Amino acid sequence: MSEQLLAVEDLRVGFATEGGAVQAVDGVSFELEEGEVLAIVGESGSGKSVTAQTIMGLTRGPNTRIEGSVRLEGRELLDAGEAELRRVRGERIAMIFQDPMSSFNPVYRIGAQVVEAIRAHRPQVSRGEAHERAIELLGSVGIPDPERRVDSYPHEFSGGMRQRAMIAMALALEPDILIADEPTTALDVTIQAQILELLRQINRERGLTTILITHDFGVVAELADRVLVMHEGRIVERGSLDDVFYATRDPYTRRLLGAVVRLDQAPPLRAARGEAPLLEVTDLVKHFPVRRGLLFDREVDRVRAVDGVSFSVAAGETLGLVGESGSGKSTLSRAVLQLLRPTSGSVRFEGREIAGLSRRRMQPLRAEMQMIFQDPYASLNPRKRIGQIVGEPLRLHGRASGAELRSRVGGLLERVGLAPEHYNRFPHEFSGGQRQRIGIARALALRPKLIVADEPVSALDVSIRAQILDLLSELQSEFGLTYIFVAHDIGVVRHISDRIAVMHEGRLVEQGPADSVCERPTDAYTKTLIAAVPVPDPRASRARRIQD
Amino acid sequence: MGRFVVRRLAGTAIVLFAVSVIVFLIFNVIPESDPAQSMAGKNATPTLVANITEEWGFEDPLPQQYLTMMRKIFTGDLISYEGRENVDERIVEGIPATFSLVVGAAVIWMFFGILFGYLSARKPGGRLDRALMIVSVTGISVPEFWLAAIFLNYLAFKLQLFPTGTYVPFTENPLEWATHLILPWVTLSILYIGFYSRVLRARMLDVMNEDYVRTARAKGLSERRVMTRHVLRNSLAPIVSLFGLDFGALLAGAIVVEYIFNLNGIGLYTFESLINQDLPPVIAVVLFGAFFIVLFNALVDVFYAFLDPRVKLGSEGR
Repeated sequence: MSEQLLAVEDLRVGFATEGGAVQAVDGVSFELEEGEVLAIVGESGSGKSVTAQTIMGLTRGPNTRIEGSVRLEGRELLDAGEAELRRVRGERIAMIFQDPMSSFNPVYRIGAQVVEAIRAHRPQVSRGEAHERAIELLGSVGIPDPERRVDSYPHEFSGGMRQRAMIAMALALEPDILIADEPTTALDVTIQAQILELLRQINRERGLTTILITHDFGVVAELADRVLVMHEGRIVERGSLDDVFYATRDPYTRRLLGAVVRLDQAPPLRAARGEAPLLEVTDLVKHFPVRRGLLFDREVDRVRAVDGVSFSVAAGETLGLVGESGSGKSTLSRAVLQLLRPTSGSVRFEGREIAGLSRRRMQPLRAEMQMIFQDPYASLNPRKRIGQIVGEPLRLHGRASGAELRSRVGGLLERVGLAPEHYNRFPHEFSGGQRQRIGIARALALRPKLIVADEPVSALDVSIRAQILDLLSELQSEFGLTYIFVAHDIGVVRHISDRIAVMHEGRLVEQGPADSVCERPTDAYTKTLIAAVPVPDPRASRARRIQD
Repeated sequence: MGRFVVRRLAGTAIVLFAVSVIVFLIFNVIPESDPAQSMAGKNATPTLVANITEEWGFEDPLPQQYLTMMRKIFTGDLISYEGRENVDERIVEGIPATFSLVVGAAVIWMFFGILFGYLSARKPGGRLDRALMIVSVTGISVPEFWLAAIFLNYLAFKLQLFPTGTYVPFTENPLEWATHLILPWVTLSILYIGFYSRVLRARMLDVMNEDYVRTARAKGLSERRVMTRHVLRNSLAPIVSLFGLDFGALLAGAIVVEYIFNLNGIGLYTFESLINQDLPPVIAVVLFGAFFIVLFNALVDVFYAFLDPRVKLGSEGR
């Protein structure tokens, strides 16, 4: 029997933490076929990244217990010495990571970091030769003008370029296996499509065996040949791409696939909304001045974050605001709420002009419009108890105090699916999804008319994401809320919105009913955006690739 | 770069002006500090005091007194009240001793500070880390004057391993210069070694969790290369900014060490002038020190831009 390229057998990885032992990987076995793309899918905490890093020996440490076996062409890696392991890393197995910004050392030039990787394994290669090779590699992954860009620093590259450079560095020593750990999670969807195409091309042209770690079934469908689904440290489902998608055996996997919000499926019909506009935004502009000067600064340029935007939102409806990073969608939502003072333009709330209102005159109106934030970790004060956090708006606006405050907060917690007993706990005691529920309870406390939700589900796992979206829908019909739902993921936006507005470079390039924007986009950018969304359906994604 | 230099020069002028005004005002509000009285001596007649007051302009309006003093500092005509010596000349005389002391100590503390910090961060919680922890905390806790006295008493007087006595110029006898400075160097650097190694260790432990360190390991680099090129190199920023402040401040005189080891540098001169409430030298030394602090802060910023290419000189909001 011929040796497998890579065989993982009954791998167990445990970490000793302050809160006791954590079994991150609990008996994982799989084999890697030469030339295939094997996807390991799972939610956060499933052990998929730990598995990948353990193969490379990157999880070794005094607080880690590793058992089982990882064999590379028959050679055991788990008890290999550091020197032997170093020869495997980069040379036999290379790795690319989620965040290409933080994964490059910011103080060295891109080229120097590629040269370092080459010369660590081939000391006989001269610096000049390695530099030439780096240029060649950067060119081969689609970086324009590689002779010049090789001397750039990581911060001078865009996110997509950095991930290309990361891939170039991984290919430098022509490894046998590439481990891609969430390679596109930190990227915009149009960039993600390009990187996925690059990975597919590398796999096809060089026959590079790839392990793809991801949480995104869309990415899996685009790239994988074979799939492992991990849950709580174990593999719960394994099989060919089509088997896992169309002949799912494991109930957890079925639930996970069911929870995926798909752009190509129309959501259930939503109830008709009122016609009266709650919010009317006309020609809103927010520019940030760029100041420079010899001794005193004067404005030399301006960043046009929001550049003449008009839209309106009817009472009780949801407007989805879609855009990639840097499109100005977050600035727009803050300028609408007067958290940022608009440069010019008009914002009318219930017919009343609020743009440029003083802080004091704005104060009573704040109760009418609330915000939910993206990061459920950073947006809750870690030193305050849940009861205080949720009750604070009520207290600040003098709506309730004492026992009444307590009972109203209890009611709110219950309404968002938490228990009133959670009143005295601290934010760190909750999971990401629970924290987002706390954020929602806080936004609801004052019974606002308008809620602006800025990427409320982007930081959440797929199954949690579906629950939060359902909760938001329920609350909307119960309290007659109006939402502006800001997100980069047009699939999620379609799922919850009546109308969609697409933002690009500070302007709204298209707006209209959700279904028509998603199915019959008219603007060129919207078309690109929609085409770039990976579809969690292998057959559809194959059909689309053949079309191209 | 040009913009940076212009801004820094303007900033330096403002700082020096503010510092000199503050020192000048403090001296003028201290009660019973009539310099004419003390200059006239114990058996002064009222006429003598009046003459001195007249001659030195102590009755002039404060702004005028201030301006006169500033003009004299920068033309080199400033005379101290006590001993009536030229202040600028005395400061220049003190420069060799002070600079020899401070530069030598700085080399020692940077070398050992970085070495100890690096060694402790390599295996946090290990035996070496714990031993170095004790060393540095002791270094931080022991007062300079006590350490200096112990060194002098045991190593210089009793064991006679080191010479006692004052500063020997390098040009006169390089060996004597060094042997006379060893104890002062060690005394001065011990505090900073402890402090810098702790700061560096903490920073390195943070940097070790950075994604790019994981990338470096995944590339197959040796552990040593990972630790030096990636971890240490990216941990130097706080050390550099501390060094700029400490080194600049010490160049205006390491008062305690110079006093105990009887090194006739700027610190010793400052000390004597303070005791005598002698305003001209004090204000001159303070300006001298403030100038170096500002200068080294600017150098730190330049060095920062070298350490981290993301930093752009002259743009404030970084």
